[in-house]
Amino acid sequence: MEENQSTNENSCSFCKKEMTPPDAIFCNHCGHPENGTDQQRAQFFAKRAVNKTKHIDAGKKIKSARNTLFILSGILGVFGFFLYFTTNDIVTLGANLLISFIYLALGFWSKEKPMIALLVGLLLYLTLVVISAIVDPSTLYRGILWKILIITFLGKGLYSANAVKNQ
Amino acid sequence: MESISCNNCKETILVDSAFCPTCGSNLIKKKRTNSEGNLNSIIFFYVSIVVFIAITYFVNENYQENFLAEVLIEGFFALIILLFSLFDLKEIIALYRFPKISIRDYLLTFFTPIFTGVTVYIGVEFINKVVDPDNSINTYAQYLYLEHPLAWGIFFVAILPPIFEELAFRGYLFNLLKRVTNARNTIIATSFLFALVHFSFISIIWIFPFGLLLGYLRNKYNTLWLGMIIHFIHNLIVLLLDYFVFNFTIVGT
Repeated sequence: MEENQSTNENSCSFCKKEMTPPDAIFCNHCGHPENGTDQQRAQFFAKRAVNKTKHIDAGKKIKSARNTLFILSGILGVFGFFLYFTTNDIVTLGANLLISFIYLALGFWSKEKPMIALLVGLLLYLTLVVISAIVDPSTLYRGILWKILIITFLGKGLYSANAVKNQ
Repeated sequence: MESISCNNCKETILVDSAFCPTCGSNLIKKKRTNSEGNLNSIIFFYVSIVVFIAITYFVNENYQENFLAEVLIEGFFALIILLFSLFDLKEIIALYRFPKISIRDYLLTFFTPIFTGVTVYIGVEFINKVVDPDNSINTYAQYLYLEHPLAWGIFFVAILPPIFEELAFRGYLFNLLKRVTNARNTIIATSFLFALVHFSFISIIWIFPFGLLLGYLRNKYNTLWLGMIIHFIHNLIVLLLDYFVFNFTIVGT
């Protein structure tokens, strides 16, 4: 009983975890100013409210990036068949289907490991932009707005996933 | 318990603390900032390599069979990798030690590249014949303009790439990725990116699993030597097969 009471006394009133050291001003787990001033408490709750909003926002950005991977997968698959039926080029179809499959796999992987899947997805996209530029340099500025949009979505999702992972 | 010093108030705190108990400084935020810095470095490093490879395509197109161009390309590639490695020098140097290796992994190191070299050679030849029969590339034949083509081929194909590609992908990139994710994801990501920079969609099919093996051994023994040996034997076998095919099939007929 006495031991329980002592544990409660040493615990943070906000996260209920044991504070180290017990007489610290701030909880080392959640940052709650257990022995701090009223102003410090107010700041703590204000920061938490802001972080909660950021967390929801990060979730939306990760979802947008994941959808970008699925959309890229779909576009490449459809475009591959379109090229095959117009040019009868089986190699282009095979390459498009392979990349489409990789984007699809990355999309599903991003549900489990968003940070690494989105990083690989972004680098794959950048590589494809460069390969297209080698074949035809004019592709670098063709559809540039779409390219910027895709990179932005994937980049924002990647950094949001990284922030969520470290929280 | 292990302790560190708070960057803000310099008080001693437990290493697994999320917040400083004295000043309330958010230690997770600092960790996140470090993690973002690592992500930026990964993207910058990878894009630098990809852009450099793209430039080499244009150089090779305009300066075919040019020894100076070949030396400059290899030299600049090595310089880029070494410059990046300077930012992680301590960790990189540690990867050049010789660890104690199990007999099973020694056998894996020497026999796997013999298998992959022969299999990939036959497989790629077959695919090239089906897909693009007029454009089959013989690596050895690319150095025929030089006085000792086989020796130069060994230098440019079997010796240089294993040294600098392993340093780039299983060294610098592997270290950075391991700071932002776990070992399993690091092996998968480095293998995929390694396959991707070869700029050949067909090659992804075999370079990816090849990279998984190199990544597995790099992670298990924390050394680049095994990867370099496997990479060297594999490239050497492909080059020697091209040498024999050229001299006994192409020249012979």
